[in-house]
Amino acid sequence: MLFSRRLMLGLAVAGAMAGALAVPALAEGPTEIDLFFPVPVDGKLARDMGTLIKEFNETHPAIKATAVYTGSYDDTLIKTRAAIKAGKPPSAVIMSANFLLDMQIENELTNLDGLIAADGTTKEKFLGQFFPALQGNAVIDRSVYGVPFHNSTPLLYINADQAKEAGLDPNKPPQTWAELTDWAKKLTKREGDKVTRWGIAIPCAYDYCGWMMETLTMTNGGRYYNEEFGGEVYYDTPSMLGALTWWNDLVYKHKVHAPGATPGPAVSTSFISGNAAMMMLSTGSLTYVRDNAKFNYKVAFIPRNVRNAVPIGGASLIVPAGLEADKQKAAWTLIKWMTSPEKSAWWSRATGYFAPNMAAYKTPDMVDFLNKNPDAKTAVEQLDVAKPWFATYKTVPVRKTLEDEVMLVLNGKKQPKEALVAAQKAADETLKPYNAETSLKLP
Amino acid sequence: MTLIDWLFKDAPLATRREITPKLGFVLTVLLALVWLIPFLWMGVATLRPASDGINLMAELMPSLKPTLDNIRDAWEIGDFPRYFLNTTIICTGILLVQFVTITLAGFAFARLEFAGKTLLFYLFLMQLMLVPVLLIVPNLRIVAQFGLYDTLTGVMMPFFASAFGTFLMRQAFEAIPTELEDAALIDGASLFQRIRHIYVPLSLPSFSAFAIISVTSHWNDFLWPLMVINSPDKRPLTVGLSVFTATAEGTQAWGTIAAGTLMVIAPLLITFLIFQKRFISSFVTSGIK
Repeated sequence: MLFSRRLMLGLAVAGAMAGALAVPALAEGPTEIDLFFPVPVDGKLARDMGTLIKEFNETHPAIKATAVYTGSYDDTLIKTRAAIKAGKPPSAVIMSANFLLDMQIENELTNLDGLIAADGTTKEKFLGQFFPALQGNAVIDRSVYGVPFHNSTPLLYINADQAKEAGLDPNKPPQTWAELTDWAKKLTKREGDKVTRWGIAIPCAYDYCGWMMETLTMTNGGRYYNEEFGGEVYYDTPSMLGALTWWNDLVYKHKVHAPGATPGPAVSTSFISGNAAMMMLSTGSLTYVRDNAKFNYKVAFIPRNVRNAVPIGGASLIVPAGLEADKQKAAWTLIKWMTSPEKSAWWSRATGYFAPNMAAYKTPDMVDFLNKNPDAKTAVEQLDVAKPWFATYKTVPVRKTLEDEVMLVLNGKKQPKEALVAAQKAADETLKPYNAETSLKLP
Repeated sequence: MTLIDWLFKDAPLATRREITPKLGFVLTVLLALVWLIPFLWMGVATLRPASDGINLMAELMPSLKPTLDNIRDAWEIGDFPRYFLNTTIICTGILLVQFVTITLAGFAFARLEFAGKTLLFYLFLMQLMLVPVLLIVPNLRIVAQFGLYDTLTGVMMPFFASAFGTFLMRQAFEAIPTELEDAALIDGASLFQRIRHIYVPLSLPSFSAFAIISVTSHWNDFLWPLMVINSPDKRPLTVGLSVFTATAEGTQAWGTIAAGTLMVIAPLLITFLIFQKRFISSFVTSGIK
């Protein structure tokens, strides 16, 4: 086995040499920090993020920040967790807002209370800068763990030209499920058995599907999860059954929604191309629709069955646990700068997300922008009825148990009731370890 | 039928009148067309001006006003020459080390006798059953301990030994008659000389088959490099490309995506077209010439 030992030795030497090259020089330079960010809307934003960080570095010579692109929201969570476990935590991450609770349960987050207090301000004052609807996902057990960075709510997008042509008034958008069903029926175009235009498109792919289910369930009076405790979700309930049955009816009873689970990009593509007259999609897609729609469009609140309510979406800035003090401080400086009114407003205009910082809407550029694009106001107005995004122990696996079943329903392979029973069972199984440690841990 | 007759002019006389080979040929052409459609669409979409709008995006008919805008956009969003370099370094680096490890390990399993050989071999094969995602955290931890976090070496390291390659080489070496080795032994060749002058030359087809599989899989690997690499200048192609394909909120610029994808696969595609004959033959010839 001599040669293999020699080989190992060679590899070790090569590794050591590469390692020596990789170790940064410990000179008295600026504090180096990494920011992990997913690309939420459009690839050009990766460039915008580069511009933003470059500006930060120019104005803060003591800090050298690097923006690290990390894939989708789910990929960003995987990479952040892997980096923390490998002892190389990033200094700040733009993290999907509903992953914070799960990370806090796993002790992967820095409690930001101390950093807020060190600035000589109070939690209430600090959080007071942001829309109240956003605080639920940033605050856990009365401590601050995230700072809202860009947020969204789902919207109803309507092709106004097609609505007029069908004899509908786009200035009076549908407000209830009954009206929406009626609109969708009138907007669906058929040639014999073939549908040439769908009345409505609602996205269903991992991540989006759970968010849409929460939206429909909330407008049906329900709650997707226990907002106070990470160990319970409410899948097998009348409110969610009503929501899924209505979605299923749009597909198979009224035949106004294409069968199958449609990913978000396909939904926006079919809306832009005029193949779907209405769609439910995030405010994050507003800029894309504005830039690409060759027709008049309207955006409206998500119609209700029982009440008006929507979940928030988007992401918050977090600081992972286990950082050195100087990096933590530098990350905090970056986070405060990125969430300031001017930067918030700039990013909001670039993406279509709304700016979480309320003062952003008082900046002159933003006032101008809203006057030119009144559709951007709808998302902000809808914030009055917005509530937190579902967040539980193991948010992603718990979400996927529901999404897998909803996809089966939309593909015509299962009925809503049996799908929800199966989803509830699988979710409860996933939540079991957490409940064993909390709600079922009895004296 | 004249075309068919011309195509089959080199076929053996006995089969020239038969219908089955002709059917097979027609089927092959159909399959090739099906396989070509995505590539054709990619080419067409790349050259389509944005002014055509989304309605024509799915069309296979090329635009009458072709444009290079999409290619320029994609080129500007990502630092493609650097991504190419990184991916090339990763793929060749992995392959070179793999050649050494799989040759030696394959030889050990094929020709050496040692205690626990079978058990060890099965353990090796068990690696093939593991989902790569499971290994992300332990692998990353080891890579970080070696001080190789955010380095290209760190991306390559977990793949230096390949269970599949070891298995492939063991099969190839076992097929080589021992008489050849015995002859070399009589001439006084050492172990390494025997491997170098007998086993390796006779197994070249297996090596090239493995090289194809190794390079294509690491060329397309996304999740692992995403985990290891932070610095923008160390990104491989897949991570660079995903910047404008993996959007979360459902809007996509198809023209740019097509252009970027085309740039990523072009080197592999061109290599394949040049070495097509060798590729195919490496999979069908036996080790003995």
